[in-house]
Amino acid sequence: MNDYKTTIGIEVHAELKSNTKMFSSSKNDFKTRPNSNISVIDLGYPGTLPLVNKGAVELALKAALLLNCKINKRMHFDRKNYFYPDLPKGYQITQARTPIGVDGYVEIEVDGVTKKIGIHDIHIEEDTAKSIHNETTSYLDFNRAGVPLIEIVTYPDMNSKEEAMAYLERLREILLYAEVSDCKMEEGSMRCDVNVSVSKNDILGVRTETKNIGSISSVGMAINSESLRQIKVLEDGGSIREETRRYDEASDQTILMRVKETGNDYRYFPEPDIPFIELSDEYINKIHDNLPVMPNVLRKKYKELNINDNNIKTIIANKDLCKYFESFVNDTNPVTASNLLTGDIMGYLNKNNLSINDINLDISNLKKLIKVIDDKKISSKQAKQLIPVMLETGKDVDVIINEMGMVQISDDKVLQELVDKVISANQESVNDYKAGKDRALKYLMGQIMKESKGKANPSEVNRLLVDTLRSI
Amino acid sequence: MTKYLDLSIIEINELLKSKKIKPIDLVNECFDRIEANKSLNAYITLNKEEAIKTAIELENKEVDNILFGIPIAIKDNILTKDLRTTCASRMLENFNPIYDATVIKKIKEKNMIIIGKTNMDEFAMGSTSRTSYFKAPLNPWNQDMITGGSSGGSAAAISARTVLLSLGSDTGGSIRQPSAYTGIVGMKPTYGRVSRYGVIAFASSLDQLGPMTRNVYENALLLNAIVGKDELDLTSVEREEEDFTRYIGKDIKGLKIAVPNYFMSDIVSDEIILKIKEVIKLLEQAGAKVDYIDVPYLNNAVTLYQIIAMGEASSNLARFDGTRFGYSYPNPKNLDELYTKTREEGFGAEVKRRIMVGSYLLSGDNAKEYYDKALEIRDDMKKSFDKVFESYDLIIGPTTTTTAYKQTEALDDPLKSFMDDVLVIPVNMAGLPGLNVPVGFSKDKLPIGMHIIGNSFEEAKMYMLASYIENKLNLNLNPEGENHE
Repeated sequence: MNDYKTTIGIEVHAELKSNTKMFSSSKNDFKTRPNSNISVIDLGYPGTLPLVNKGAVELALKAALLLNCKINKRMHFDRKNYFYPDLPKGYQITQARTPIGVDGYVEIEVDGVTKKIGIHDIHIEEDTAKSIHNETTSYLDFNRAGVPLIEIVTYPDMNSKEEAMAYLERLREILLYAEVSDCKMEEGSMRCDVNVSVSKNDILGVRTETKNIGSISSVGMAINSESLRQIKVLEDGGSIREETRRYDEASDQTILMRVKETGNDYRYFPEPDIPFIELSDEYINKIHDNLPVMPNVLRKKYKELNINDNNIKTIIANKDLCKYFESFVNDTNPVTASNLLTGDIMGYLNKNNLSINDINLDISNLKKLIKVIDDKKISSKQAKQLIPVMLETGKDVDVIINEMGMVQISDDKVLQELVDKVISANQESVNDYKAGKDRALKYLMGQIMKESKGKANPSEVNRLLVDTLRSI
Repeated sequence: MTKYLDLSIIEINELLKSKKIKPIDLVNECFDRIEANKSLNAYITLNKEEAIKTAIELENKEVDNILFGIPIAIKDNILTKDLRTTCASRMLENFNPIYDATVIKKIKEKNMIIIGKTNMDEFAMGSTSRTSYFKAPLNPWNQDMITGGSSGGSAAAISARTVLLSLGSDTGGSIRQPSAYTGIVGMKPTYGRVSRYGVIAFASSLDQLGPMTRNVYENALLLNAIVGKDELDLTSVEREEEDFTRYIGKDIKGLKIAVPNYFMSDIVSDEIILKIKEVIKLLEQAGAKVDYIDVPYLNNAVTLYQIIAMGEASSNLARFDGTRFGYSYPNPKNLDELYTKTREEGFGAEVKRRIMVGSYLLSGDNAKEYYDKALEIRDDMKKSFDKVFESYDLIIGPTTTTTAYKQTEALDDPLKSFMDDVLVIPVNMAGLPGLNVPVGFSKDKLPIGMHIIGNSFEEAKMYMLASYIENKLNLNLNPEGENHE
C-alpha cells in the first residue's frame, strides 16, 4: 500500500470583500433577508447588461500579485453556458481564456521543509443564486447571485494531506491579510474542491474531485479517505473513474455525487457585453507597491524580536489582533506585549466572545501597563487582576493601580524594615538557614510577603533577605 | 380626417409652438391611421390610453425641442416600462417590463409620445418578419409582399404614414433591409453609438438600435436624441456631442465614393443595378468621384454572421427558462420538463433552429473551429473596410439584391433569409454605420434602396450624401400617392 503516491490539486473559490456585486451595483451582502439585495441585472432580466466592479477587479489583482502570478494585462471575460435554476442568465460570466493571473506559486513549509505549490491560474467570476429545497418546493435566493469570486487553481503539486492543509492555511492567511476575502469556510466565503489521484509510478492516476469541503481539517481527512479508497479499488483490481464526490464527515468517507460525463460542454466563448479590460503597468505597480505586509514577513520579524513561537502563531492566526499588535509593536517591549495580548487579553476576549476591535483598547494605556510590568512595579499576579478591570472600565492603568492598592513596595528602606522585623520574629528559621536548610529561606520570604500584604517586590525582598542573613 | 402627419416635423413643431395644434391631435391621427391600416399588422401592442394621457399632459409643458410631442413607434424588442414587450414571441406574450430601456428614457425625456410596439421577426431572427408569433406585417406598397425584417413592423408603420418616427434594431441588416423594401430611410449607427441597455439581446456584438423614418432629416433628428455613452452599457462609446443634421444640404462636390464590385455583381437583380448606376451617374454629375473597387472578405460575411450571431443568440436566449419571467410550462413533472417544455412551446421554429445551430457551433472544439475563426476573419474584414476609408469618404451599393418578394415565397428555405441580407451584413460585422435611402421603384412599383456605408462615427457624412440623393430624386414615397415610377 505504501508504494502509492498521492497527487493533489486544489481549487479554491473565495468571495471578494467588495461593497457591491461583480456585474451590478447591488450590495454584496447575502446574509440578509432573501432576495433583498437584488437588481434586474442579478436576475438576468431581459435587456440587462453587465457592469464591471472595478473594486473587485482590484481585489483580484491584489490576490494575483500576492500569489506571485503573471498578470494578464489585457483581459476579458467569458461565458460558461449551462442550465440551472441558480444561474439566472443561463451562463456564468467567468474568465476562461484570460484569467487575471497565471503561473504563480505559494510557498509552504511542512516539517521544516519548504515547497512551492504552483498556481495554474486565478480568475474572476460571479457566484450563483442559492437554492433552498423543501420536500415539495424549491426556493431561490438571488442575494448571492453575482457576488464576486476568485477561483484559485493549483497545479497537482501536493503529495500529502499535510501539504494540502499547509497550502490552504497559507492561502487563507494571504487572502485574509490582503483583505481580499473573509475566507470563512464555515460560512461559505471560501470553498474548496480537491482533486485526488493515486499512482505507483510517475504517470498520474485518474483523478476524482471532492467538492465543497467545509474546513481545512476536513480537507485533510477527505484526502486521506479518498486516497485510501482509490488504492483499495486499484488493489482489488478495479479502476478509478472521473467522478465528482463529496466528503461526509460523520462517516469519514467520500461519497459519489456524479460520474463526470466526457466532454462536459460549457460552450465557452468571449463575453461580448464586456469590452477588454486593460490593466496598465502604472496601475499594477501602484497596487503592487501598496500590498499589505504578509504573515510570513511578520513571522520572521517576530522571531527576530524574540517572541516565542506560540505567541507568534496565536497573533498571526488572528488578523485583527495582529493588526493591533503591529500598530505599536515597534514602540514597546514586544515580548511583554505579545504575552499580554495572547494571554490575559485574549483570555478575556474569548471568554466574552469579543474581538480586539470591539473593546477599543487604548494603546497608550496598554503601553503604560507593559512598562509597569517591565519595571516590576506590579507583579504578574497583580497584572492578572488589573487587566479585566482595564478592559472593562477603560480606566488609566495608574488609576487602577492606585484604586486597587497594587503599588509594589520596592523602596529598599521600607523593605529592609520588613526583613528585619520578620528575621527577629523567626530566629529559629534563621538558625535553620545557617544550618544549610534552604527551605527556611522560602519560609522567611513567605512571611515577609505576608507582612507586606503581597505588595513587596519579591526579587528585591529576596536580595535584601539573603544579604541580611549572610551579615548576621 | 386631419393630415398633420403628412407635414414635416419642422412644420409640426411650428404648429405646436404656436399652439395651432396640440400633441393630442397628432396622437389621435396616428390611431385613426393605424385603424385604417389595421390589415398591415404593423403593431403588436398599441399604447393608446397612455399615449393620450401623455399627450394631454404635454399641453401644459413648453415645446422645448423639435421632437416634443412627436409620436413614435418602438420595435417590440426594446423594453418599455409597463408596456407589453413581446419580442414577437409566445415566450414573452404577457411580459410587462419593470424598467425602461435607456433609449426609451431618452425618448421620454424629449417628450416624444410612444404610440405602440411594432411587429418583428421573433427575437429579431429573420429577414421577412414572418417568424413573428403575431403573424407577419404586410408591405404597404403591396400587401402580398413581405416588409422585410426583422424590423418589418417599424418599416410598415412609417411607410404607411401611421406614425412620424420609429425605432428599429439591426443585427444583420434588420433596419436597412426592411427600409429598402418599404421605401423609407433607416440608419444602423456605428456599434456603440446607441445604448443597448434594455434591448432584448439577439447577438450582443452586432446588435444596434437606429432610427427608421420617412426622410433623411428626420432620421438625423431622431439619431440626435438617442445616441450617447450609457453607464449601463459598457460597449457604448463616449463621443463629443454632435448634430447629425449639420451636413444636410451641403454640396457633395469632391466627395470620394467607393462601390465594391461584389455589391454590383450578379447576386443583385438587373433592375436594382440599373437604378443604382443611374444614381451613381447623378453623383458624378454633382462632382463626386466614384470608383469601383474590390473589397476582400465581403463574400464571407454571411457565413461569419451565421456563426457569430447564432452562437451568441444561443447563449443570450438561455435566460428564458420559465423560472423568472415569460412563458412557463404549467405543472412540470420536474426541472428538465420545465426547461424543455417551456422552451419548446415558448419559442418558434426559427428561434429554436438558431439556438440549436448556435449551441452546436460553440460546442467543444467547434468554438475554436468556428467562433474563434469567425472573430479573426471579422477583424480582417474590419481592416479591409479601414483600408477603403483611407482613400474614400463613403461606400455605396444597393441595400438588397431584390425588391420585396411574396409573403408565400421561400417559406421552407431557412438560408434565404440570410441571403436577403448579404449586402448589409458586412456592415454589422465591421461595426460600421449603414443607411438605406430610397432611390426609386421597380417595374412592379416596389421601392429600391441604396446602401450608404460610412466609416465609424461618420453618420453625419452619410446623411449629407443621403439627403443630396433624396433631394435630387424627389420621389413620392407615400404608398398612397402617385408617381411611383
